[in-house]
Amino acid sequence: MKRLFISISDGKGFDILLVGLAMFFLLALAGIPLLYNVLMSFQEVDMFTLGSFIRPWAGLDNYRYIFAQPEFWLVMKNTALFVFCSMAGQFVLGFGLAIFFQQNFWGASTIRGLFLVSWVMPGLVVGGIWSFILAGDYGVLNAILEGLGIIDEPVFWKSDPDLAIWAVIIANIWLGLAFNMLLLSVGLAAIPRDLYEAAELDGATAWQRFRTITLPMMRSTIGAVLALGLIGTLQQFDLFPAMTEGGPANTSSVTQYWAWQMSFKQYDFARGATISMLMLVFVFMAAIVYVRSTRGEVRG
Amino acid sequence: MQIEILNLDKHYGAYHALRDVTVQIPKGQFVALVGPSGCGKSTLLRSIAGLETITSGTLKIEGEIVNDLPPRKRDVAMVFQSYALYPHMSVAENMTYSLRIQGVSKADALKRAREVAEVTGLTDLLDRRPRDLSGGQRQRVAMGRAIVREPKAFLFDEPLSNLDAALRVHMRTEVRALHDRLGATSVYVTHDQIEAMTMADHVVVMRQGVIEQQGAPMELYDRPANKFVAGFIGSPAMNFVDGKIGEDGHSVTLALPNTPVIPLSRKAEAGRNVTVGMRPEHLSLDANDGQIEVAIRSVESTGSMAYYTTRTDPELMLVEQGRNRFRTGDTARLRIAPENVQLFDRKTDIAI
Amino acid sequence: MRPVKHTYLWLLAAFVFSVIYLFPLYWMYITAIKSPSEIFASPPTFWPNDPDLSIYPDVWEAREVPRYMWNSLVIAFGATGLTVVFGTGCAYVLARYRNIWVDVGLFLVLMLQVLPASVMVTPLFVGFNQIGLLGWPRTAVVLGVAAKSMPFFVVLVRAAFMTIPRELEEAGLVDGNSRIGAFIWIVLPMARNAILVCALLIFMQAFGEYIYSASIIQDQKLAPASVGLKTFLGPNSKDWNAIMAYSAMYVTPILAIFILLQRRIVAGLTAGALK
Repeated sequence: MKRLFISISDGKGFDILLVGLAMFFLLALAGIPLLYNVLMSFQEVDMFTLGSFIRPWAGLDNYRYIFAQPEFWLVMKNTALFVFCSMAGQFVLGFGLAIFFQQNFWGASTIRGLFLVSWVMPGLVVGGIWSFILAGDYGVLNAILEGLGIIDEPVFWKSDPDLAIWAVIIANIWLGLAFNMLLLSVGLAAIPRDLYEAAELDGATAWQRFRTITLPMMRSTIGAVLALGLIGTLQQFDLFPAMTEGGPANTSSVTQYWAWQMSFKQYDFARGATISMLMLVFVFMAAIVYVRSTRGEVRG
Repeated sequence: MQIEILNLDKHYGAYHALRDVTVQIPKGQFVALVGPSGCGKSTLLRSIAGLETITSGTLKIEGEIVNDLPPRKRDVAMVFQSYALYPHMSVAENMTYSLRIQGVSKADALKRAREVAEVTGLTDLLDRRPRDLSGGQRQRVAMGRAIVREPKAFLFDEPLSNLDAALRVHMRTEVRALHDRLGATSVYVTHDQIEAMTMADHVVVMRQGVIEQQGAPMELYDRPANKFVAGFIGSPAMNFVDGKIGEDGHSVTLALPNTPVIPLSRKAEAGRNVTVGMRPEHLSLDANDGQIEVAIRSVESTGSMAYYTTRTDPELMLVEQGRNRFRTGDTARLRIAPENVQLFDRKTDIAI
Repeated sequence: MRPVKHTYLWLLAAFVFSVIYLFPLYWMYITAIKSPSEIFASPPTFWPNDPDLSIYPDVWEAREVPRYMWNSLVIAFGATGLTVVFGTGCAYVLARYRNIWVDVGLFLVLMLQVLPASVMVTPLFVGFNQIGLLGWPRTAVVLGVAAKSMPFFVVLVRAAFMTIPRELEEAGLVDGNSRIGAFIWIVLPMARNAILVCALLIFMQAFGEYIYSASIIQDQKLAPASVGLKTFLGPNSKDWNAIMAYSAMYVTPILAIFILLQRRIVAGLTAGALK
């Protein structure tokens, strides 16, 4: 007992205690639930078995059921579209703004900081604001586009089945753009100035400097930003209940929202867990890219 | 004995950081641990402080075995290379920190800090933060912080290496003077053999976790135990030339042009292959008197000293007092003072 | 870096970009004080004809904003507290050592960081139900949110701990501290700013949290402001000035804190997010 106390006050016991508490907490509230999710996807869970751990084994029935759903391929397609277009939009616009604010003019860093307000806003509020901006009859975006002569009649962003997912994508790009910009700015700032000066003396144009210095030097940053973008987009949930609730007719539903609907609207927890499992495949692919990209930092 | 280090071993996994290290440090002595980087000198110092655990062996401070005691129960003070001043505390708070932990009242601790500040010239800086101090001032605060505690021993981990050259030379004498005034026991780690030689009573030369030799500075200089110590101690470094003991055992033939033969003052095993060590100041150049003729490759003159290298294989380095008497490209005769020649076994590098 | 030429042109461009980017925020504040009929005007007005601030007290009362905000605060404080208490020590140990166990721990933390809340909510709900935690729904949400945000916190705070020289802690040990003492008196004060910034970020996220609360809390009296907003926000909402007034009341405190501490937050975030 005394040895244990000494170890905690002066030795390794202190470290083990600190890391152990956190790891126990994470294991209990993230690790075990994750495994439980895997288990549930192979079980029959209904209102009668919800409270017991021993449930009828379902094998792959839940998976067969999900694959057989009429909306399955629609949701998968939407997810792919949502993830790819959100990431592309956030990255391209974020990179452009990062380079813009990298220029040394008065107020650059302060104004750049203001952009980050989008990142700290609750997703539900962002969804609400964009829902109003994108409204068909009275939305301000339609009014601006009409005023600029880009469209002739209102676009029904949220209720047109072909466009509903795009409404959420637009809001999501706005939400994640600033964070992409910030991370890319950090990468840009880490490139030594004299490289550009040397290239300029060698006669490289601005575009050549971007292609031969900026891009290669930013490779690991870009990898990390894309991985974080993928993770962030797969984690994005709040915009859906705020804007479209997956409608009309599932045309704007994505995996994460479908899984939640299955669990908490239809109370079919086993199948909700099953959809989550499909999503985890993508999440872990992103995670591997992310962990690899942070290795430099992790190794210290 | 103030500090006794007996048969100390330290492993990091498979890596053997310290091997069978034994050093006895009497009260009041200034001991320098010196060696190239990675030799284990810092590990040894940190083991004394309790910042590293030892694998086996015994560590005693004032006769008490401290192997398993945490640093706070060893009552030693340490001056770090980076000074490790607490950036969120003023100089006075830095200096009184350990006293306050021991439960000394604030007023008493501050009084003590003022006395020490007087000695170390910090009186005007007591309210400043470390970031507002110059490198030399920070170094003084680190020293002051150690002195305030009146510890059983002072441990220095390359404390002067972050200072500029002039200040470093000045601080050498100052640190030593403080040590003498306090009657302290000090263990001082450095990679700079000049620091070790000029400051310490007792020098411990280490390499790859092993003590190569320990003793008084001049003893190490005059009678190095092996080729490594001979080459490490002294600046410029000792010249090494292959040689072979003559048939009579009283002379050695050097592998230099014209194979000069040097008489030996003591008998050695006839025909043995040896490495001959000659310090630069024990070689001299002359217009016509000397064993062999050499061409001069380079000359560096500082005004008070002249440094020559010769166009021989291996190249020899010589030092002479005064202005340079020869110039690059001159030829001269090289004189080797036989009484100062050191012999090392060619295979084991151990002194003969 | 040398300054660009025509700095005013750049500033002007930056101004235009921020006006476009921050337009949704402007639109939120401006819509809230429009009259119900003006909201649906076509073309919309960019400045209200008759600004009417009375919507704020009305929504405050009718939508029970104080109760919802109180619950949001309870959840945000609870989750932030748990995250800071458990996460700080973990981040410290993961920063202090370099060995295989630390690498394994970091790998686990990074993997947990990527788990979406929408995946975790189903097993958490079922599990909480089984152990009876749904009787304390706010506590259940606090636990879930804390577990969700802790990896993020650990990664960022670890980066801050790594910038503290190990020698400072060792000086503390030699000066007479125990490991606990050196951690509390030397290491923590030096990482204080980074910890506060990260805690603030966690707080802001937890304050806006929706999915766990919406799934786990059945009783509206215990629900946070995000769930309260959802009671009248959806694909067919018409009550836009009330929604925008509610949103404004919800986000203005967060935005105010963020703008005040923007520099510190950005610095703390960039130190750890990417190297």
